[in-house]
Amino acid sequence: MSNFFKLIYNELFKIFVRKSTWFMFVALFIVILGMGFLEKGFGDDYTSENWRAELEQENKELQKDLEEDDMEDSPFYDFAMSTIEENNYRLEHDIMPLSTGGWSFMYLSTSFLGLVSLFTIVIAAGIVANEFSQGTIKLLLIRPIHRSIILLSKYIAVLIFGFITAVSLLLLSLGVGGILFGFEEHIPAVVIDNTEGLTHISVLKETIYQYSFYSINLIMITTFAFMISAVFRNNALSIGVALFLLFTGNTVVQFFSDKEWAKYLLFANTDLRPYFDGKPLFEGMTLSFSITILLVYYAVFVILAWGIFTRRDIA
Amino acid sequence: MKTPALELINVTKRIGNKEIIKGLQFTIDKGEVFGFIGPNGAGKTTTIRMIVGLMSLTEGDIRIHGKSIKTNYKEAVREIGAIVENPELYPYMTGWQNLKHFARMIPGITDERIKEIISLVKMEKAIHEKVKRYSLGMRQRLGIAQALLHNPSILILDEPTNGLDPAGIREIREYIRALAKEENVAIIISSHLLAEIEQMCDRIGIIKNGELITTQSVHDTEDEEQSEAEQIFLFDIKPAKKAQEILESEFDAEIDHKDGILTIKTSRKKVPEMVKTLVKHDMDIYQVATSKSTLEDKFFDLIGENIIE
Ligand SMILES: Nc1ncnc2c1ncn2[C@@H]1O[C@H](COP(=O)(O)OP(=O)(O)OP(=O)(O)O)[C@@H](O)[C@H]1O
Ligand SMILES: [Mg+2]
Repeated sequence: MSNFFKLIYNELFKIFVRKSTWFMFVALFIVILGMGFLEKGFGDDYTSENWRAELEQENKELQKDLEEDDMEDSPFYDFAMSTIEENNYRLEHDIMPLSTGGWSFMYLSTSFLGLVSLFTIVIAAGIVANEFSQGTIKLLLIRPIHRSIILLSKYIAVLIFGFITAVSLLLLSLGVGGILFGFEEHIPAVVIDNTEGLTHISVLKETIYQYSFYSINLIMITTFAFMISAVFRNNALSIGVALFLLFTGNTVVQFFSDKEWAKYLLFANTDLRPYFDGKPLFEGMTLSFSITILLVYYAVFVILAWGIFTRRDIA
Repeated sequence: MKTPALELINVTKRIGNKEIIKGLQFTIDKGEVFGFIGPNGAGKTTTIRMIVGLMSLTEGDIRIHGKSIKTNYKEAVREIGAIVENPELYPYMTGWQNLKHFARMIPGITDERIKEIISLVKMEKAIHEKVKRYSLGMRQRLGIAQALLHNPSILILDEPTNGLDPAGIREIREYIRALAKEENVAIIISSHLLAEIEQMCDRIGIIKNGELITTQSVHDTEDEEQSEAEQIFLFDIKPAKKAQEILESEFDAEIDHKDGILTIKTSRKKVPEMVKTLVKHDMDIYQVATSKSTLEDKFFDLIGENIIE
């Protein structure tokens, strides 16, 4: 094993030897299991025989609601309209809706990707700060290895942890879904709305897309938490600031969306999916614009973290 | 000219506008044990932090076997094993896991080597327990173990006796002497207690307010034997009263009598003659000893009152 891999191994070892880390995975499992039982109790249960009739019935009811209320401004109006559109699309193209089943359940797990961010932020926030609070930083840094390499090994360990957590979410949801519901005969499809109008895509593909696009968000926010940890050596501060950003980031972008500079905000650029669906968040934004902005933020985080960590006196 | 193991050249550290270390300058040879003594806040730990590369130097340079810690960090620090201040290890890992962790950071450390070190610091029993359940002395032992893993040619121990029981201190003392003698390791030990480390050191450096006040050899025995310098000797003799009279009549020495022990201030050269005279007069001599406090007295003279600036 080369020296650098041993450093990464050390960092991962220190992460996974702690019970609190395993508690995160237990929590992840419980959340997925909980959703599984909710889904079993309340989820739509279409069968290949009855789904057409059910969708037609659903459309009729929605239509009736719309006529009765006659409120074009209400948020319900948009929801009802798009549901009717989607149902019609499914009926036309003979695509069965998502039902209780392993594949569909795996797709639902994408709504828990925020937990992956949460756990990875906690790890990123602690990985440098804890060495300082335990005092172990002294023994760690008196080895014949440059500080920048030690910091890099920690950073890579954080990314690996994030990857492991995301894969765990995927596999746990697939497993829980499969055990609770069994798998659908055919991999179902979701209907999505892009510039060319409605189209459909298999849940397997869509799930992979969502995880992949989310990874950009994950990498940016954990790099940010890691930077705060390396600069301020404070675990709580790092978790706090990063979580605050995670929870409010999109809201802040919405809030300032009428401002010209809003498109330079980090969270206006972390979701690259709209470019592939042809619907950018702000007028005039392009994929290369967002990638440039992301790279600038990333460079700032990295320069701050490495610049300060490698120069500071360890007292 | 042979290069010293460790060389401090005009080492200065300023934090803010406070000068913590003021132009430290000394060398340590291979196989030498150097005691680094000073009161609280004198700058011992700060100096050690600079030697191991945890702190930058404001001015000056530190060379390890001729390699500068500033320009040749990796090569220089490879030679060093150290504990800095308290022995802080990963509390949630076992002693063994801690040692493995540090062993992975330097190529070529086998499990056999780790086991060898563990038995050296007598930690076989507790090595698979979590460090958070260790006593202070056990942590100190583990700290010493991690410093020795890679066979360093320079060993730096910041207050290694802190928390050790008398048996532990004696083991460390013997081991340090052996390391210096047999493996030619250069060793720096810091402490505020001179008495604790005096016996394992070849040389003592005294630091106060960031300045090296003096360095001084501990075992200048040849010099001392012929030395005219006066020292305090303790004679345990019966009957003491009579002995005092005899010695006073035959020698020119200051003699005090307290609790049946004579305290005599004289030169080392004269001691054998005094003993012979006393034997001739049929006195019972139980013990003749140098007063330990000579170096210690000097230490306090040099340091004066410990005022932390
Ligand atoms: N990071 C820092 N910022 C400012 N002053 C510092 C810093 N670290 C140490 N000092 C000062 O440097 C001086 C030397 O401290 P140091 O820890 O080296 O002393 P020491 O000799 O090891 O003392 P002790 O015997 O108590 O361990 C002290 O006066 C301390 O206040
Ligand atoms: Mg100290």
